[in-house]
Amino acid sequence: MGRVAGKKLFSIMALVAMVGLLLLPIAVSLPSLAIGADAPDAVKKEGEQKYEKGRDVYYKTEGLAIGAPAPKTVDGPKDYPRYNFESRVLLWFANQQHLYYGSFVLAVPIFCMVIEFMGVVTKDKAMAKRYDQLAYDFIKISLTAYSLTAILGGILIFTFLTLYPAFFGYLSSIFRPVMHIYALMFVAESGTLYIYYYGWDKMRDGFLKWIHLSMSVILNVIGTLLMFLANSWIGFMMSPAGVDEQGRFLGNIWHVIHTALWNPLNVHRILGNMAFGGGVVAAYAAYKFLASKTDEDRAHYDWMGYIAMALGVAFLIPLPFAGYWLMREVYAYRQQMGITLMGGLLAWLFIIQATMIGILFLSTNYYLWQALGRMRGAEKYQRYIKYLVFILCCGYLVFITPHTIVMTPAELKAMGGQQHPVLGNYGVMSAKNGGINVIITTTILSFVWYMRGNKVSTVSWSKFGNIFMGVFFACAYVNIIWLAIYGYYIPANVRVGLSVPQVATTLSCLFFMFPLNSAMMKGAKQMGAIEWGKISVRSQYALIMLATAFTWMMGLMGYIRSSVRLFWHVNEIMRDNSPWAYTHTVGFAANMISFNVLFFWVSILFVFWLGSLGMKKAPVPAKAEVPGGAPQPAAGH
Amino acid sequence: MSELIKEALTIGWPLFALLASLFIYSIVAGKDAAAKKSSMFKLFIGTLGACLLLLAIAHYKGSFYEANRMLPVSLVLITAACFMLGIYFPNHAALLKIGGFMFLVAAGLSGYGNWLPQVEGGFPPKEEKLQYEAMTAQQLADEGEKIIFGGIGKNKEQGAVGKGQCPLCHAFHAGMLGERAPNLQGLPARAGKERLEDPKYSKGNPKGREFDDKEAFPGSGTAENGQEYIAESHSCPSCYVVSGYGVKGTNDKTSPMPAIHKPPISLSLQELAAVDTWLYLREGIDAPSYDEIIKSYEKFIPEADRPKQQEDKPAGAASALLADGTEPIDVIFAKSTCILCHTIPGIPGATGKQGPVLEEGTNAPNRIKDPAYKGTAHNTQEYIMESIVSPSTYVVKPFPDNLMPKEFGTKLSAGALKKIVDYLSQVKAGSPPPKIS
Repeated sequence: MGRVAGKKLFSIMALVAMVGLLLLPIAVSLPSLAIGADAPDAVKKEGEQKYEKGRDVYYKTEGLAIGAPAPKTVDGPKDYPRYNFESRVLLWFANQQHLYYGSFVLAVPIFCMVIEFMGVVTKDKAMAKRYDQLAYDFIKISLTAYSLTAILGGILIFTFLTLYPAFFGYLSSIFRPVMHIYALMFVAESGTLYIYYYGWDKMRDGFLKWIHLSMSVILNVIGTLLMFLANSWIGFMMSPAGVDEQGRFLGNIWHVIHTALWNPLNVHRILGNMAFGGGVVAAYAAYKFLASKTDEDRAHYDWMGYIAMALGVAFLIPLPFAGYWLMREVYAYRQQMGITLMGGLLAWLFIIQATMIGILFLSTNYYLWQALGRMRGAEKYQRYIKYLVFILCCGYLVFITPHTIVMTPAELKAMGGQQHPVLGNYGVMSAKNGGINVIITTTILSFVWYMRGNKVSTVSWSKFGNIFMGVFFACAYVNIIWLAIYGYYIPANVRVGLSVPQVATTLSCLFFMFPLNSAMMKGAKQMGAIEWGKISVRSQYALIMLATAFTWMMGLMGYIRSSVRLFWHVNEIMRDNSPWAYTHTVGFAANMISFNVLFFWVSILFVFWLGSLGMKKAPVPAKAEVPGGAPQPAAGH
Repeated sequence: MSELIKEALTIGWPLFALLASLFIYSIVAGKDAAAKKSSMFKLFIGTLGACLLLLAIAHYKGSFYEANRMLPVSLVLITAACFMLGIYFPNHAALLKIGGFMFLVAAGLSGYGNWLPQVEGGFPPKEEKLQYEAMTAQQLADEGEKIIFGGIGKNKEQGAVGKGQCPLCHAFHAGMLGERAPNLQGLPARAGKERLEDPKYSKGNPKGREFDDKEAFPGSGTAENGQEYIAESHSCPSCYVVSGYGVKGTNDKTSPMPAIHKPPISLSLQELAAVDTWLYLREGIDAPSYDEIIKSYEKFIPEADRPKQQEDKPAGAASALLADGTEPIDVIFAKSTCILCHTIPGIPGATGKQGPVLEEGTNAPNRIKDPAYKGTAHNTQEYIMESIVSPSTYVVKPFPDNLMPKEFGTKLSAGALKKIVDYLSQVKAGSPPPKIS
């Protein structure tokens, strides 16, 4: 009894400590915020003559220009000191590596929170234990990567300071209070993470488990705020606010943070991080699966890979919608910027992005079809897979066909016009919307098949339910394809509106068919157990493909977002006068992204390998405690 | 190849040194022949793998800065090395195979990126603030020629158009076409005499004018000398319209010319001084001083309306194109100055009367059917394109031939032309105009 009370006391103390850590940055940063925010008032009292008035370039409000103007840099060792190498590429590398690790360590705790919660609420004790172990495994992976994130952050700062001192000096003069809060938040994040990880065993049961779970919530709140602050810097670089035309800070730090693109960037990055994190954990599971020597290990890592993939894809599906929002805000902020992205200099990169999205969905489907193989009774669906392959390929080929792109006169002549006489018909938005919606709907159908793979519905209305689902999917396909064809016969301004019913059709499949399927499968008769671990090796390569493609796409989109500023460090405020103020070719960008992706994966595989060395030395727990020790038929997926 | 091997050895000598050490160790420490044979074999495979790996790295390094379609070969080599090592080192097979597979995926994506057409964003226009006030008259005139025609010595080139866009309507030499606006040959001499003495100009009495605008701004008055006349005609084109050059249907009361200091052209006073200086010097006439010209413009352009000389912004004259196709359609129409002569439903400010109303969704099919039509277009899009790049192919009555410049085909990018065609083909008489995008 006394022991339990001690545990409770420990838990509450830990929670209080974490709340304290959470509040600490705000408390400490208040004085520094005050310097930024209150200074204009103080200055007003002294006399407004001392500072000129300036007008906010975005909010259009007036304020005293208390900051220094953005430096007008010149190409030379003072503003752009360098090695015998392109500084921009070095910075690109340092930034991208830090972002990869940072995204991973921010995403994994969210997974842990979700999985730990699933473990707490599930009534099946064996499953609860497995979920708990899985969440613990996840956070263990994240912990190793955490220190690397911090090291890479340090390298990034040094790279900025040594290669772009004038630009970084300006940025830090604007974001001075924010940077301090950021650093302190990082301390809070570290403290919370360590307490969360090392307190796992102490708070395993009952009320203490809830305390532990609430810690993961706090951990994620800190992590998310941390990311939001970092996003405010890139938001400012793309769509500056809170400064006047000369780049002088006008005293309102909230304006500087809350720029035109901050909110959509935040949402897009959260979803992107989650999808990426899912990919990395799935790749880890695939590696462990392939390296496993026992059936038990294989079963555990097969299951782990499936959960990570499902979580990753769950966040991948809304990601395009967040992307649309971001692009809409980009267009609203500067139409020119949007056109540079989608129809100008960077348009080919969006063709690559479309290819990547297709690869992600194809890999997901392939994995699910392979996963049907570990279920007894799923054979009835496997014979239809060839049709899904056909549908997916058609949708994919249409989706990656380019439309309006910058061409040289020679290319234009060779093509015989702006569009190819035949393929050009597939390049228009009407066809593309049809293509991607067909792909997503097919993925939803694959998931539905997977969820009912080894089951036979026993509800009285199962026949009706099956017919209804079949008709619903058939109507969905017909509607999507019909609207795509109809789009060719109506003016562009009306055609734009067709994407709404197309997306609504796809989302209807997602939101109506999943719950309907779950209702039909309640108490279903199982044709056989899911034989975790009995999945083809190829499926694990699909997971690795998924992870690599996620990583590559993240690098690609980061590059696009950054290069859309063209020759501005801070858009329309601080010009880039370095010798690298031009946009690289698509090929160079692809090489660089590949280099970054491979460096990240080689380094993280090395970390995984190091982790496996440590595991070998750890005392072997009792068989029942081995993660996934008892492969069980999953009651649900 | 020898260069590649040399580079590989330079990069990878520590690895080869390590392999050599292991080789010696396996000879010295091998206990039995079988173990020795096995370790030697593994060393051989490892060396082979290392060679492949280093060759790949050397190849990657050598072509890193190029859009090289062979570059992904490096990554495929690494994949091959990883899979080969995976076969002979089973303890690390999973790691090697996964790594190899990732290299293969990256090779595919890199190859794809290199296979696509390579578009590179060039350097931004040089940031240079020209010190017009410190220039000699000739330097000023050179800058003026650049603004008008896009380059020094281009004034006799048909179709040469600079930031000022003047040659789209004006001719500058005797015999050159310029039916939309007066030929500016002899303007400095004409300005102070013929124009100011024309009763319609109503010198000193702006209220007596019969044009749309009486004064450039309230209280600005009228010009007192030739330079002031030029300044006034630039800043307030409808204060005086030369007979025969007004907007059709306005009885020459309204000029089709935009105020030169306002968008879309927006020349600064300094740039206008350069333009005017060229107008004088090219005829061998001494130009008024820089300060005098600036003063003449200050008389007709209130301070609040004076565009600032560009500093951080890229110079608009850098591109030879009027529009590159990245702009929204209304900007393309404005930059190409279509709006000055045509009424285009849905486009703000496009109320020109010099040419027909551009309801091409309705007009084009009828014109193709017209027996007088001798062009090659078969559909609306082709007709519009033909009308832009070859306006004399079919001239809509009662508008005169040769009024529309013939160089739009070379002054607009393919993307811009495509946008214009797309938009105009959707404009139909009696229907709401398409959305601007």
